[in-house]
Amino acid sequence: MNLPVVILTIRWMVRDTFRQALASGIFWLMLGASLLCILFCLSAGVDGGSQLRHSGEPPEFLPKKHADLSKTTPAAQAGVEVIRGDLTLAFGALRLPLGRDAEDSVRFLQLLLAGVVADAAGVLLALIWTASFLPTFLDPNAAAVMFSKPVPRWALLLGKYLGVVAFVGLQATVFVGGTWAALGLSTGWWIPEYLWCIPALLLHFAVMYSASVLLATLTRSPVACVLGSVFFWFLCWGVDYGRHAMVAMQYLDANSSPFQGAARTMVEAAYWILPKPADFSILLQSLLHAGDHFAAIPAFDTVQHAGAFHPEMSILSSLAFAGVVFVVATRQLGHTDY
Amino acid sequence: MSNLPVARFEGIAKSFHAGWLGRGTLPALTDVSFQIDPGEVFALLGPNRAGKTTLVKILLSLCRPTSGRVTRFGQPSTNLRTLERVGYMHESQAFPRYLSASGLLEFYGALAFIPEPEIRRRVPKLLEFVGLADRCQEPIARFSKGMIQRLGLAQALINDPDLLVLDEPTEGLDLVARRLVFDLVAERRRQGRTILLVSHMLTEVEQLCDRAAVLVGGSLRHLGSISSLTRNPATGEVRCLEEALQELFARPAA
Repeated sequence: MNLPVVILTIRWMVRDTFRQALASGIFWLMLGASLLCILFCLSAGVDGGSQLRHSGEPPEFLPKKHADLSKTTPAAQAGVEVIRGDLTLAFGALRLPLGRDAEDSVRFLQLLLAGVVADAAGVLLALIWTASFLPTFLDPNAAAVMFSKPVPRWALLLGKYLGVVAFVGLQATVFVGGTWAALGLSTGWWIPEYLWCIPALLLHFAVMYSASVLLATLTRSPVACVLGSVFFWFLCWGVDYGRHAMVAMQYLDANSSPFQGAARTMVEAAYWILPKPADFSILLQSLLHAGDHFAAIPAFDTVQHAGAFHPEMSILSSLAFAGVVFVVATRQLGHTDY
Repeated sequence: MSNLPVARFEGIAKSFHAGWLGRGTLPALTDVSFQIDPGEVFALLGPNRAGKTTLVKILLSLCRPTSGRVTRFGQPSTNLRTLERVGYMHESQAFPRYLSASGLLEFYGALAFIPEPEIRRRVPKLLEFVGLADRCQEPIARFSKGMIQRLGLAQALINDPDLLVLDEPTEGLDLVARRLVFDLVAERRRQGRTILLVSHMLTEVEQLCDRAAVLVGGSLRHLGSISSLTRNPATGEVRCLEEALQELFARPAA
């Protein structure tokens, strides 16, 4: 099978996946959720002293962690120009005092949207909503005619996988691009790092969706794919977080860590074999420079300080997992009788 | 056209996994050998669970034989390019419900590597032929079983195949559509195309088919012309196909 034929097959399978997403309503459901978030961002605004920081002044002029020094009255008495502004939401219906300055508040909203809405809830919901795509495609009565065409099964499966990833990629672009533009318009803060969330979210989804592909080829059951994908995501998150907590404990006090010897090796092995959704969160926060403005989860912070977080290796090993799982899935599909 | 057999089965056996954790085996086909020659209308007959559909699926590389060898157009069945010359109508088709009739034909046409301008030319003609031209943009979800069968016939013809495999093509069809199927078989026979027909409609099989293979319990019980099947070997008297088959099904395996 030559490359143009593979490209043609993938093109048609991607097109088919978009049709499936449109007809099943998932396209509109995800788009609707994105539009709600975009509307939420459009409703945000900054009133008052949003320009607290003077030109050329370093961002650390107000202490962010020291409880006493962050009190505005003593700070004002000490000669610091203290902010008197509000972050408004729902077109002014809700008013929240600005934590530090306008940029911080906008970054907080972006972190909330990227880290909680998109990276955790969004990816998990995308996994659930798209979990039935492959079992439907592999239904014996539907697949028999398709597999009697002169196209290898692996190319059809690859096309379908890429179709789902492209669909989620489009939705991620609408969500991130839309909320970025809406926040920019409503607050005047255009923070380009936020756009890095598109490839980061897509990578997270593409890696985790590979497990759904394997489940679909093994069971052809939408229920098994939904439950299996969710369980697998939580398992990977747990292993990932557990490993970082273990490393943090070891770093802070090597003797008090309950993970020693074989247990430590096993956790490390599981961490390096499985996909790493928590690492994608750390990566996302790094891309958003969240550490410059907000406190990180202590275990994640420590693991980075300890030099035990390697983003490149984390991405590569997660992609390697997805690749191996995909190869196993294609072999399984190739050996299945229809 | 080449004189190579369109399809050739050599010692085909197939067992499925069965029982607790799939440790047992369920034999579906045992040592089946025959070939289908170019230009013939070949019937695959047998009672339910005789292995007819399994044999068809092995021919189409949907199913792998446990042992034996299959060739299509002289090439081993692992060569998927030969499937470009095959059209297949499945016995119980379930097409993606979100596609329209023309969308489905375009999709399957593309997967059969037909150039897009040619697909656009063929689709309206095929939909006209199967009587779905007026419903071509409707989602398949709204189609009746008979309409889906008609669409299945159209998709099997999208690549104008040299070998048309029809597995129970008249299942769920009304009289008009059945006539359509048999007219199609007759027309393609006149054109010298090969057809493999799996059907329980014995009158039409008798009228249209040149040769038949009869499978009983996964074994080949008879192979030959329809006339050799209907002629009583003891008396030489000609019987109807149904009577001949009933006797063949009841006969213990040799």
